[in-house]
Amino acid sequence: MVATLGRVVSLPVRGTAGRAGSAVNRAASGLEASVTRLTSERAGVVDDWGRDPGLVRSMLALARLRWEVTVGGDQHLPRRTGALILVNTRGLSLTPIFSAFAISEAVDRPVRFVGRPDTAPVGAFARRIGGLLDHPDEVAGALAAGELVVAGAEPHDHRGETGVVDHALVGAALAAGVSVFPAATSSSPFSRSARVEIGAASRRTRRRRGPLAEYELAARVRVDIDDLLDEIGEIRTGTPLDWLPLDGLGGA
Amino acid sequence: MGGKRVFVSGVGGELGTLVAELLEREEWVGALSGIDADPPRHRLPRTTFHRIHPDHHDRIVDTITSFDPHVLVHIGVWEPDARAGPRQAATLTDHAATSILGAAAECPSLEHVVVRSGIEIYGRGRGSLTRPSESAPLQPTSDWGRTVAAMEQTAARVGARVGVSVGAVRLAPVLGPHVPSPLGRLLRMPAVPFSLLADPPFAVIEDRDAARALVAAARMGLAEPVNVVASGAITALQAARRGRRLPIPLVGPEWRIARTISHLSGAPIPDHVAEVLHRGRLADNGQMRSLLGLVAETSTTDVIDRLYRWPNVIHRPARVQVA
Repeated sequence: MVATLGRVVSLPVRGTAGRAGSAVNRAASGLEASVTRLTSERAGVVDDWGRDPGLVRSMLALARLRWEVTVGGDQHLPRRTGALILVNTRGLSLTPIFSAFAISEAVDRPVRFVGRPDTAPVGAFARRIGGLLDHPDEVAGALAAGELVVAGAEPHDHRGETGVVDHALVGAALAAGVSVFPAATSSSPFSRSARVEIGAASRRTRRRRGPLAEYELAARVRVDIDDLLDEIGEIRTGTPLDWLPLDGLGGA
Repeated sequence: MGGKRVFVSGVGGELGTLVAELLEREEWVGALSGIDADPPRHRLPRTTFHRIHPDHHDRIVDTITSFDPHVLVHIGVWEPDARAGPRQAATLTDHAATSILGAAAECPSLEHVVVRSGIEIYGRGRGSLTRPSESAPLQPTSDWGRTVAAMEQTAARVGARVGVSVGAVRLAPVLGPHVPSPLGRLLRMPAVPFSLLADPPFAVIEDRDAARALVAAARMGLAEPVNVVASGAITALQAARRGRRLPIPLVGPEWRIARTISHLSGAPIPDHVAEVLHRGRLADNGQMRSLLGLVAETSTTDVIDRLYRWPNVIHRPARVQVA
């Protein structure tokens, strides 16, 4: 994950000219375009980002065998425009992927996830199931094109706490003019039950003209995810296993 | 903006001819002139055509400076292995760009320059963006990408020096029934190689949409780069299946053999096409509508479907039967 000061400085909104202006123009173009529905995607071709709807459907069916994911709060998400959804993750977890699949089914729209590698065959496969590179420009492009994008915070192994949220990705959302939503995820390796709870869009407490906007919003999102984790609690099996620190993919 | 003098370089190619045809219908265009090494593919009643080879620097300069255009549309570029081998294509493109853009800089009436570029300019190195927008860094990784980057740079320098606006139309691989495209040629082969490990997506643009974009750029005075790409994407395997071709999965060293066989079969695979097959080629087309006021009418999958429907040879009966 690249997060340099230079990158921070390049992202803020600069009126109608330049990068932010072009991102807003692209967002406006995305608004006019019809939203792709998961159920109406054509098989046998890939979409603008290389996502293969047929393969995604197969992966969704496979994921349903392993997890029974409950998605809450999806009514907060915009119906037609793009949005960045930030989730808590744990080490070696696939939280952004399973969250993207679950939210995708809930809102009947393709949902991308951030964090695909750029090497074949893993990167190629991840692109086919909706993966984006972990690069702010890539995320900004997808958001401006009206896509829903799920990204994970830094992995964090303490229960009920969220790792650092990448401010560069938040800056990409600000540049594209879309909202940032916190989402808490919880699952267990011993149960099929999993949960994704999406909160209302995180708001900045102060209006900033410079790069502080993305830093402060990233910190706000982290707090909001922690609050959501407190609210949803943990997945319980009803056995002594609950006493062990054996949280699974993205467990709270 | 009535009665502008417009000069089109590369008017003899399929794309140049289409652009000239569309420009002839534009009300703001007064006089229209063009040059190329080959004559136009269709009859152009309003266009004055000059057949000049790119090496004839003095004749090119004389022709352009005497016409004194308001708008220059520079399409005189040679894609490697389209109509010329990679080395010759690079040389011809460089000569044409130097002569034509240099001559345009001497024209006192010049107001605007449009150059035909390509999305190969972004390159497909490791970690490069999946769909680069116009603001993405230019890191070409193929000969063709470097050629168009150099041409854009030359045009920008000329524009800055003489104080005229320069717009670059970065086209996706152009396909059309008569367009000499190495990618199109390869996809129409009976057997189509694809990367087993990656099979990445790519997007294309149909020649008519590309021509509309170039004309719109000239009309609107485009002063920045714009990606012109059809919506949607497709992979080589999916394209081969749609065209009922035999897909040949390849890994690593087999590509060298495949490229040699393909070359001998009449469909050479230059490095920018090999890059498409290994790393894909997409670009963000979100700015097309706002900068050019249009979107591509034909999607990538439809262009590929048409590619397989275009006949190999078009038979036209003679108007007057003499035998």
